[in-house]
Amino acid sequence: MSSATQQDRLLHRKPPPNTPSPAPPFSALPLSARHQDSRLDKRDDDFATAQASSKSTSLLDKGFEDDVKDNPRIEWLFAGLIFLLAAAFRFWRIDHPAGVVFDEVHFGKFASYYIRREFFFDVHPPLAKLLLAFAGWVIGYDGHYEFENIGESYVDNKVPYIGLRVLPAILGSLVPPVVYGIMRESGYPRIVGVLSAALVLIDNAHVTQTRLILLDAPLVLFMSIAFYSYIRFHKLRYSEFTKPWWTWMILTGVFLSLTISCKMVGLFAFCTVGTAVVIDLWNLLDIKRGLTIEHVAKHFAARAFGLIFVPAVVYLFWFWVHFTVLNRSGTGDEFMSPAFQQTLLDSPLTLNAEEIRYYDTIVLQHRGTKAFLHSHVDRYPLKYDDGRISSAGQQVTAYKFNDTNNHWIVEPTKEIPETGRGRVVRQHDIITLRHVMTNTTLLTHDVACPTLATNTEFTTWDGVNEEQEQDTRFKIEIDDAHEGQQWMTKSSHFQLVHVGTRVAMWTHQDPLLPDWAFKQQEVNGNKNLKDKSTFWVVDEIIKDPNVTDRARPPPKEPKKVKSMNFFRKFFELQIAMLQHNAGLTDSHPYASGPINWPFLLAGISFWTGAGELRQQVYMVGNPVSWWLCVVALSVFVGVIGADQLAQRRGMTPIPKATRNRLYNSGGFFMLAWLYHYLPFFSMSRQLFLHHYLPAHLCSALVAGAVFHFIASETINYPISVAGPTTRRRPRQVAEVGKGMVVAVAVIVVALLAGYLFLAPLTYGFPGLDPEQVNRRRILSTWTLHYAK
Amino acid sequence: MDSVPLRSRNKLHGHGGSQSYVDKDDDKSYSPFASSRPTSLTNRPAKPATPASKQPKTFWTRVGGGIELGRGETRVLAGLTLLGSVVRFWKLGRPGSVVFDEVHFGGFANKYIQSRFFMDVHPPLAKLLITLMAWVSGFQGGSFDFKDIGREYAPEHVPYIAMRMLPATLGLFLIPLTYLTLRALQTRPTTALLGSLFITFENGLITQSRFILLDSPVIFFTALSTFFWIGFSNENEVARDRAGRVGPFSRRWWVWLILTGLALGAVVSCKWTGLFTIATVGVLTIVQLWSLLGDLRVPMPLLARHFAARAICLIAIPVLFYMSMFAIHFAILNNSGEGDGFMSSEFQHTLAGHGMEDTFADVMVGSHITLRHLNTQGGYLHSHPHTYPGGSKQQQITLYPHRDDNNIWAILNTTSNPDIPNPETHSPPTPILDRHTVVLSHVSTNKKLHSHDIRAPITEVDYQNEVSAYGFDGFEGDANDHFQIEIDETTTDVKSGKESRHRVQTLRTKFRLRHILTGCYLFSHKVKLPDWGFEQQEVTCNKNPSKENGLWFIETNTHAALPADAKKVNYRRPGFLAKFLELQAVMWQTNAGLTDRHAYDSRPHSWPTLRRGINFWVKDHRQIYLIGNPFVWWLSTLSVLAYIGIRGLLILRYQRGYKDLNHCEPQVIFYDRLCGFLVLGWFLHYFPFFLMSRQLFLHHYFPALYFAILLSACVFDLVTSFLKPRIRLQLVALTLVVTVWTYWYFSPLAYAGVWTRAQCERAKWGKNWDFSCADFHETVSWCSGRLIDSGADDVARFRPPSTSPRSHRARMSRRSPIRRRAKSPLWSRDASLSERT
Repeated sequence: MSSATQQDRLLHRKPPPNTPSPAPPFSALPLSARHQDSRLDKRDDDFATAQASSKSTSLLDKGFEDDVKDNPRIEWLFAGLIFLLAAAFRFWRIDHPAGVVFDEVHFGKFASYYIRREFFFDVHPPLAKLLLAFAGWVIGYDGHYEFENIGESYVDNKVPYIGLRVLPAILGSLVPPVVYGIMRESGYPRIVGVLSAALVLIDNAHVTQTRLILLDAPLVLFMSIAFYSYIRFHKLRYSEFTKPWWTWMILTGVFLSLTISCKMVGLFAFCTVGTAVVIDLWNLLDIKRGLTIEHVAKHFAARAFGLIFVPAVVYLFWFWVHFTVLNRSGTGDEFMSPAFQQTLLDSPLTLNAEEIRYYDTIVLQHRGTKAFLHSHVDRYPLKYDDGRISSAGQQVTAYKFNDTNNHWIVEPTKEIPETGRGRVVRQHDIITLRHVMTNTTLLTHDVACPTLATNTEFTTWDGVNEEQEQDTRFKIEIDDAHEGQQWMTKSSHFQLVHVGTRVAMWTHQDPLLPDWAFKQQEVNGNKNLKDKSTFWVVDEIIKDPNVTDRARPPPKEPKKVKSMNFFRKFFELQIAMLQHNAGLTDSHPYASGPINWPFLLAGISFWTGAGELRQQVYMVGNPVSWWLCVVALSVFVGVIGADQLAQRRGMTPIPKATRNRLYNSGGFFMLAWLYHYLPFFSMSRQLFLHHYLPAHLCSALVAGAVFHFIASETINYPISVAGPTTRRRPRQVAEVGKGMVVAVAVIVVALLAGYLFLAPLTYGFPGLDPEQVNRRRILSTWTLHYAK
Repeated sequence: MDSVPLRSRNKLHGHGGSQSYVDKDDDKSYSPFASSRPTSLTNRPAKPATPASKQPKTFWTRVGGGIELGRGETRVLAGLTLLGSVVRFWKLGRPGSVVFDEVHFGGFANKYIQSRFFMDVHPPLAKLLITLMAWVSGFQGGSFDFKDIGREYAPEHVPYIAMRMLPATLGLFLIPLTYLTLRALQTRPTTALLGSLFITFENGLITQSRFILLDSPVIFFTALSTFFWIGFSNENEVARDRAGRVGPFSRRWWVWLILTGLALGAVVSCKWTGLFTIATVGVLTIVQLWSLLGDLRVPMPLLARHFAARAICLIAIPVLFYMSMFAIHFAILNNSGEGDGFMSSEFQHTLAGHGMEDTFADVMVGSHITLRHLNTQGGYLHSHPHTYPGGSKQQQITLYPHRDDNNIWAILNTTSNPDIPNPETHSPPTPILDRHTVVLSHVSTNKKLHSHDIRAPITEVDYQNEVSAYGFDGFEGDANDHFQIEIDETTTDVKSGKESRHRVQTLRTKFRLRHILTGCYLFSHKVKLPDWGFEQQEVTCNKNPSKENGLWFIETNTHAALPADAKKVNYRRPGFLAKFLELQAVMWQTNAGLTDRHAYDSRPHSWPTLRRGINFWVKDHRQIYLIGNPFVWWLSTLSVLAYIGIRGLLILRYQRGYKDLNHCEPQVIFYDRLCGFLVLGWFLHYFPFFLMSRQLFLHHYFPALYFAILLSACVFDLVTSFLKPRIRLQLVALTLVVTVWTYWYFSPLAYAGVWTRAQCERAKWGKNWDFSCADFHETVSWCSGRLIDSGADDVARFRPPSTSPRSHRARMSRRSPIRRRAKSPLWSRDASLSERT
């Protein structure tokens, strides 16, 4: 309900008494009869007046019940047929690229890791990958294959890949029937439901993306079911707090949560439903609705439970499954903290971590670059090219290779006992490091390092005097450790913080030092102690073969696996995922900007077969479907804009009921499209065409709504389930003219033609000769292979 | 039409405004979302409306725009200006060395005066004004390069004070402008005074306006646009009188509207952030037109006139203004300079020093050519007698931006049959057509362009191969030297005949070179080779090149056998529009590419709380650190928050049926519109920064801060509107005292004044305020006048006995002079200390 009409109504009414809350209960309000009517209007907000068209009255109460009330058998029949067709599209030659296709590299690999229970790291939440792994487990795949490169043969590697692909194919086949259901539940005639479903069903991009081992099939399915559930829930709004009301609301929450558990973009589905819920609550809050503030609060609490709490629990549950399944150390260890790593079986941290004692000879390794702290007899040049001047001290660098120049002795700055536990180095101890080969001591001071004017130079000093002595003191700051914790090899990630200037020892690869330092990495003092790349680890303790009687206990038995609070694990992983996701900014030859997507300006080359067969899989949508959707979106915007302008000038070109349907139902679909599309413009990470699939589905819904608006003057009405207090209204049924059926039939034929034309690119079969490839290159921006 | 009451109908033909059609006593309630009433910023209630004829004719009544200043207020304005000039101009010449971004903007003035082309991400107006100041003061340019922060101006006679005068003057004008703006918004004189004094004593605005920087002009023009817009809105609300002297479409109305357009043009011609000001005015215009549209008594033709007037003045005028600034820019910068490399060859060709003689049009077998890469400004296909350190270890192929003999290639047949005469002299020569296979022979080293299945030197992807120059005397080359010419139809220039699509023509034909054996295309991209390749651009052979990076064209072409009168060509000179558009595109790309971190950059969320400042300059125990007046700053942020909070509450209450925003509370509506306007301005000048990923600095917040400060004055007005005038005045005085005290407290950072370390440490109110206190002296006595004027060498003599914590470094420095000089200023871009060694 737009504010303008609200105001119209306001004009005719005395303002309610300006008493403070709680507002008087509904019956107590001094309402005129006119007011009462308008209240009911308000409650039936999307179909305020039934007498939209004179024609419709003749159809009233004439046994069109079945079309309005969704005769379940016919609906199931339609949905089933759509499902079967969708499945046929996906299962045809599902074995065909018998090699690794595009991102199967990642998601197949992750399925293998799940089955092997080895910890890995990925930017996506776990559900979709768990489903794939589950499929693999069911068909008895043992997870031996690594999915290293695109194009590697599954047959040679004995991977039951068809079984893995079946799951996305089934889930993907379920999407078109759900789309059909959404349109039917929103009150559109069957033929419109078929149209929207066809736009999604007969689409090469959806088929390509959901017959391979990828995450989008579950994502799109769960998103569409969430919308379906929300529409069902909204239709029950006159039967508030009943069992079906609760059921559909919680189902909405659960499916929203499943969506976001597949990929972070599920957040957009949350935003869509969230916005609709906020508008709904806003209308409930309206004083003219006559609800007490307590009643509104109850509504709010119910939605908070169903759409926030329940989804949060479901989301966490999948992470719990994730952590429970992945209990072995694996490729993802590096991304996590030592405390986390120690919860994994066979983690190198739990295997051979040793205490470090004073006067041990150690090798320090930088965590980020894996280079060792190094020094050699060469000195810094006195004057750099840019005119700055150094201390000309001995160079300290980081060096990738094992070398005796990497050996440093830990020396105390306090009295330590001859033997015993007092010799163990602990958290916040202040130490100095002596370079073994040159017998000099590491120091840093207030001199700029060679490459960065903001960081301090590290050097070593021979013949230490009192002042330099101060500069050689470093404090051990172990990550995530309590006071007095021992400094361990491997497991302690620590910063070496200079006592005098509070800088942390740091090294970086860009730029490397020039020739005078043999292109090794610069080591310098970084002022930003929060920088995660300032962490080092002691790689090993160099044992002196001549000395055997050091008071060192023999290496301990492998330690027990530690446990860690689930929530700490969860938050650690969540933060790492977000950081890593934002960091995916490399360029990729097939990445494309969001502006290209609706117009299908770019596709993705998924796979190319052996040269002589000239086969390729190129992920691109059906232009008929995508461009129709774009037209529909622009028509929608145009109609809304024109209607707003006309209203402003006091004209109402659209009948009220039709208009409400267009605004409320079409508006919801449009909102979904906007939320699933616009945010990509502000993302700087790598983006691909398949990120548009959810938005394409939303645009197909808009296309249905727009088609109905253009083709028919009437609507199905009412569609909401009547509650106990709802006034019965005469039924109205949308006319479905022959023209409408013919139009849909024509569109479906065009869709099929477009689909079949591009099918060789979708299925990677059959191979095409250059002329055929060039003909399929509908836009010159499509980079197809074998064009020459 | 007939239902319109007579009273209104009379107006309908006489007046154009919207206000006149609305019944004042209309009992429509005021909706918080969309007002059906016209947006007026002026309809402050309870103001006795004096008929225009009875008002005394003062300057201000003639100006219109809703500014009705009392008699004393002109004197207040003068006083404010006087006070402001003291605050803004005091010791403008200090420091006498380059401060912060004066490095850039001083340098640009220098280049303008030398008329050498440069590229900057900002539009030219502010820089032109600065240049004008320098030029008027007789700056010849060239002698001083503004290269480092801290470099002394005095020895080079740079008129830096005159140059600083421009931002300072505009910063000064901001103060009376604030007063007028607030008065035009119908606030009380005390409120306007308070707001303009907030602006006067805002340390950040002071610091920013004292140096050769662009932000002061930007803020000034933003304020000016806002002021003109308010004036225009006020004028628009006035009922049109018979003679058409006031009200819509009167001369005054047009003047205000055109001035708004000009000011908008000026702000966007200083910095692109001026687009936010345009957005603010644009939103308000749309609201204005929308409410006009909703008034059914306004006929369509009148509506169209309203629309057209705004479209012309607020869109066309700013665009023309902006373009004319670039016309001046191009007119001045007519020599080649260091910005050439950013621009296309055609563009460069328009600059003096980049001219090229006409060259033969037809490329023949045996022609000596230079081959240029179309998309990147990497330059010419180049080879030199150095080899790749890895890969095939054959001779390097690069792109080199300058003219050089090593860029010359002979374009030959694939066969060098001894029976056929030398193609380089054979007459008549044969033309090179599309799909011909050619060999490119490097003239000075006598090697041939060659590619093979070896990975490229830098780009390590399996679809890019190395390109090298290969061959030796007596070796005729092999099939890996064969490249096929594929003429690109879409980019080839056919204005002078379509034959350039069939045969290769110099400059006109754009083509790709396909390596026959591997099917890859000669390719280059913006990747630099390391030292061994002299940082020239990498050339590879790419099997899957992006279209534009695989395109080449021939720039020069000579052939021994062509007659001197054969057809010749040259670059087409782009017109102004083409140059303008190209420069816009380059500015946009460069701007988007400014993503490196800077030691003092910051993200937008940290600005309203004044989390951290910017270190501008440190030298001789003084420093300039950009930091706002915390009192004013935080007050402004609080005002914004208060407004948003209260507004939210009111909306919620409205939905529950409370009529706070009814006509019975006209005060509330007045303040709601006033504050809503200012918050909109604040929001639109602030929020877009969140969407930018480029380097951002605290001073980007200043235009938003301006709106926030105006808002704080208005909120003050609202809060105290229920108090007795005397208490109000006392409160104003108290607030001013606190403001001035805070200003005084932090003023040494703005004026590079004398400060002690203890004072400095005390002033660190925020934990991220990182002015380096270590650079101030321990006590004031160390900062006597003698020291201030002396060089740093004298400092050592004044050093106290080593008792302070600082003494350690001091002693070290005495003992080892190298160490002393090597001390790196960790806190700034300042290289002054090593500079003076």
